Amino acid sequence: MAVTQNEVGVTELPTERGVLRYPDRLLYTLWALFCLILIGVAVRDHRGLVLWKPLVIESSAMAFVTVLLVLQRTVGRRHYDRWLGEPWKWFGHHLKWLPLCILSFVVVVFGIRIGVFALLGARYIHDPWLSLLPYEGGKLTVYIGLWLGVIFAFDSFSRWHAQQRHLLELQRALAESRLAALSSQLRPHFFFNTLNTISALMHLDVGRADRLLASLGELLRASLQPDGQDLVPLAEELRLLELYAQIMMARFADRVTIERHIDETALNARVPAMLMQPLLENAFKHAVERGREKVRMEIAARREGSQLVLAIRNTGSTLPPNLREGVGLRNCRERLQVLYGTDAAVHLREDAAGVEASVTLPSWEPSS
Amino acid sequence: MIRALIADDEWAARAKLDLWLKEQGDIEVVAQSEDGLRAAEAIVQYAPDVAFLDIQMPGLTGLEVAAQLEQDEAPLLVFVTAFDAHAVRAFELNAVDYILKPFDKDRLLVTLARVRGRTRDRTARASAVAIARAQTQSSERLLVPHAGQLQLIETSIIEWIEADDNYLHVHTPQRSYLLRRTLGDLLSQLGERHFVRIHKSAAVNVAAIRALAPLFKGDHEVQLRSGKTLRLSRRYKEELFARIQR
Repeated sequence: MAVTQNEVGVTELPTERGVLRYPDRLLYTLWALFCLILIGVAVRDHRGLVLWKPLVIESSAMAFVTVLLVLQRTVGRRHYDRWLGEPWKWFGHHLKWLPLCILSFVVVVFGIRIGVFALLGARYIHDPWLSLLPYEGGKLTVYIGLWLGVIFAFDSFSRWHAQQRHLLELQRALAESRLAALSSQLRPHFFFNTLNTISALMHLDVGRADRLLASLGELLRASLQPDGQDLVPLAEELRLLELYAQIMMARFADRVTIERHIDETALNARVPAMLMQPLLENAFKHAVERGREKVRMEIAARREGSQLVLAIRNTGSTLPPNLREGVGLRNCRERLQVLYGTDAAVHLREDAAGVEASVTLPSWEPSS
Repeated sequence: MIRALIADDEWAARAKLDLWLKEQGDIEVVAQSEDGLRAAEAIVQYAPDVAFLDIQMPGLTGLEVAAQLEQDEAPLLVFVTAFDAHAVRAFELNAVDYILKPFDKDRLLVTLARVRGRTRDRTARASAVAIARAQTQSSERLLVPHAGQLQLIETSIIEWIEADDNYLHVHTPQRSYLLRRTLGDLLSQLGERHFVRIHKSAAVNVAAIRALAPLFKGDHEVQLRSGKTLRLSRRYKEELFARIQR
């Protein structure tokens, strides 16, 4: 189902015509079966008499009601579908035509019957008009009421169904756009500072400037990958993280050391790309960029049972008592939520040695 | 010679500015600082003509450093930042300049031309400090020297301030700090909401006052919660009474 946008950016519901075609056909089939049964019953009850008489009597009535049904499916729906959410109004708008229907039923149907009987050389015998009107009216009211109920059930079900599908589509589109937005999150600020470092290094150490530029380029390429759903082997995730770490080390080498503790057997596990970068970025932001002490960091990947735990530890910062989660951590959490539901988690904890941010991923399937 | 200070927490950024400033011939880099507190210390110690302040630094940001300076003694200020210009746009007219990272040598030369043209301009630096004060919470934290270093204290713990020639004694219940600033300048930083003068050379934290006791001839005595009593001069009486009743 295509969700279209008009000029002002309002998302429009897809046209219901396409969605409701299928129930329409079902409704007409049901109606045809109903007619056949009624005609069949009438023919059976007239056993022993001439066959065409009950046939004409029943089918003239059925033909009239079929016209009413077609009218409801075309003109009626165009005007009254909007009341499907309010059953009383929907029924009210339909039933206001009932007197006209009864009157025209008697005129048209009995006209046909008298005419056809006369053509075939017989006489159509019926009750006097005055007593006939309430009887036929009552019968028609019961039938119409019954079928309005059926139609209402059909139409409201298919509307509910269409809305449900539309909602699912919207949710999926939303999840995709959220993932896309969440996964490209290098701060502009990081780029400007790194560019300034490169510009400085060009006057001090061209080789280092060159290496830094290459790292920045590669990191930028990775962060511009449009699909936030991308799972990559842990080895690749760590390579990207290393690019970021190298850039930050070039900027703050005198103030930070980084240790790595990686379980080699987990290197094939598939993880969301660029998941750890915001965590490492936080460690730099809170410990290195705010503090004056020398900072020690640790990048760790370990298996705990069937789970994979990725962690960034740092000294030199503490968690404030009423911590307000920043964009990086929130993005990380939301991204895991979209990808894994409640099976993955982000933890932030503090001990005497510093702060640890860790991500626990559910099952780690090796890449094929 | 123009005496310059460079404050940036990234060594490469400092090295680049240092290199280009020294090339000029008429500029001497007297100090380099890698965080805000050391930058503030270096400004007090070396009294440079111009300070190149990175905005984002550990300890104190460049803006907070500027906010803690004495208006009349402040160097010319050049903010160097990777932030978008939003944070420094307010300084467009009053700081000497701001430079967005990364910048090239031509951009720096434009700034240096302005610096050379304004080394004697006192008003611009005073208003740059005033704007920095308005943009940071400089009325809530005060930079004071203690044990040979600068440190930040909450201004709410200050009881009263006493002027003594070119110095100020800032009294808190625990200890007193000695600042080389004028009382008027400090009161403009702390804001008139919390501190009020009681005579020509003393001001008091309104929240620290316990009572006002009348003396002879319309004089009053200010009694502080700590037990200390101070003389209220007749000239500042009206203002203090008005403040306390508010």
